[in-house]
Amino acid sequence: MEKENMLKELARSVVDMDEETSAKLSKNYVEAGFDAYDGISSGLSVGMDEAGRLYEEEEYYIPELLLCSDAMYAGLDVLKPHLRRDDSSETYKAVVGVVEGDTHDIGKNLFKVMLETVGFEVYDLGRDVPPKEFVDKAIEVGAHLVGMSTLMTTTMPNMPVVVDLLKAKGIRDKTIVMVGGGPISRNFAQKIGADGYEPEASAGARLARKLVTTKLETMSHVAV
Amino acid sequence: MSQFKDLMTPLERARAMSAGQPVDRLQCNPNLSNGIARISGCRISEFNHDPRALADAVIATHRRFGGDGAKVFTDLFTVAEAMGAKIKFPDDDTADLLEPAIDDVSRIDELEPIDPEKACRIPTHLKAMEMVVDEISSEVPCTALVVGPFTTAFFLIGVEKMTRLMVRDPQSVDRLCQVSLESTLRYVDAAASRGMGISIAEPLSSCTVVSPKHFRRYAAPVVGKLLNHIKDKGMGTSMHICGKTDGIWEDLADMGLNALSIDNVVPLPGCVSKVGDRMKIMGKVDPSSVMFAGTREEVRKACLSDIRDAYRSPKGFALMSGCGLPVETPIRNIDAMMDATRELGWPITEEKLEKALAIDRYDD
Repeated sequence: MEKENMLKELARSVVDMDEETSAKLSKNYVEAGFDAYDGISSGLSVGMDEAGRLYEEEEYYIPELLLCSDAMYAGLDVLKPHLRRDDSSETYKAVVGVVEGDTHDIGKNLFKVMLETVGFEVYDLGRDVPPKEFVDKAIEVGAHLVGMSTLMTTTMPNMPVVVDLLKAKGIRDKTIVMVGGGPISRNFAQKIGADGYEPEASAGARLARKLVTTKLETMSHVAV
Repeated sequence: MSQFKDLMTPLERARAMSAGQPVDRLQCNPNLSNGIARISGCRISEFNHDPRALADAVIATHRRFGGDGAKVFTDLFTVAEAMGAKIKFPDDDTADLLEPAIDDVSRIDELEPIDPEKACRIPTHLKAMEMVVDEISSEVPCTALVVGPFTTAFFLIGVEKMTRLMVRDPQSVDRLCQVSLESTLRYVDAAASRGMGISIAEPLSSCTVVSPKHFRRYAAPVVGKLLNHIKDKGMGTSMHICGKTDGIWEDLADMGLNALSIDNVVPLPGCVSKVGDRMKIMGKVDPSSVMFAGTREEVRKACLSDIRDAYRSPKGFALMSGCGLPVETPIRNIDAMMDATRELGWPITEEKLEKALAIDRYDD
């Protein structure tokens, strides 16, 4: 019961945008001997999910979401070193970035946080990333997922360039491609041959996990 | 190429409309962004330091499409740059923010309002405005697209920092907005003295970014002052805000905005019924799904359906794309958008619209 309460409080501190409380509660939580993975998945990320829900309902906006993610990171920093090794064995790898020509990275940052909460190890290339860098990094780390975002219509054409480069390098079939951001639509995502699109970061991360899991399963069947 | 011909120049149309007289068609502005470079055949980077290249692109776009406004604009960062932000200039893509002007609230006092005659690229823009006014203002209303003071404030300290400050440090946000407003007013004065009309782009006022509560607290005071300043010059103003805006439509009308250009993510009929009696409404063909990625017939149908939703709006309606068009938007789709208004002509009736919507005009 005590653990459940602590998880609830952890979630609450994220929703309340309270960095200090989140760090303090996380410390208390590990000191009480509870499992760090549960702290992240059933505490902090539940709070971030709730923040995402409030965002969808237009109770929260981007500034509030950013502060929630600050609080979540404060807790993550405390809990991460306590993760057991086998927790990370099911970690998938994702490469994310804002495509070249754009420096708006709020959406990308939220997607990154949400990906971490659903079990991805995220390589963040930052903003204004040339197409080649996405592909080079994906090859280097063996990424399961490449996520691209932009807020500017003018930079959208860089997204299909990345898809084509992945094809040219022969890794398109192994990699899930997701695109997102203000001007991106489902229609556009389909047109450029991306695997997934969700307008909202937390739903996007859940979809990312589903797409990657499904793809891995499919590939293992093919191997058999 | 266009299938139909205009019978009036955009300026004649604008004058007739404001006098309540008949016109040849509904107003339409496809809202090209840096894609105007593709029309005059220059590289986008040439805009930034060559007023002739910028003016030529604006003029070529006017001549090619006959849209109802000629807009001098390159990117959102001109004023922020003049106040110290670092900008990246790709060879053939839109300029972009590299670094905000300051990295910490302790440096707000270092920010100074611009001298538009001297600051960075602004003299280039002003020179281009002179050329544009000189060469085409007898045919088309020419406007300087001014970046709103709230949006520029984000680029002074960085988007993420500013969003956090709105919750943590309201006074600093006010000071940033204030110095940004002062620069904006000076820019407006310099553009207006060249004979340009003023329209405003305030993308970060969008409810996709900040809550209506924060808009009222931080953006509305400076945007309101900007609108009053322009009004005092005897000019009207139009404003574009990207993303969701339904939470602040009433606020914008209360501030005295004359025309509102909305994004495709908000419902056009809702906007018309809520504030159409107080502002002209402009919008809202989807720039990515429809204009960039759609077929000509999809463009045509989207335009006709927007017109059906809004042509009876009490203060008027102009067909526009929901935001700036991607640079590589197919030119024939832009023609198809303009032609949708020409096909309907004037006056627009329910019957004409139904007929037009029932047929296909393009076979692609």
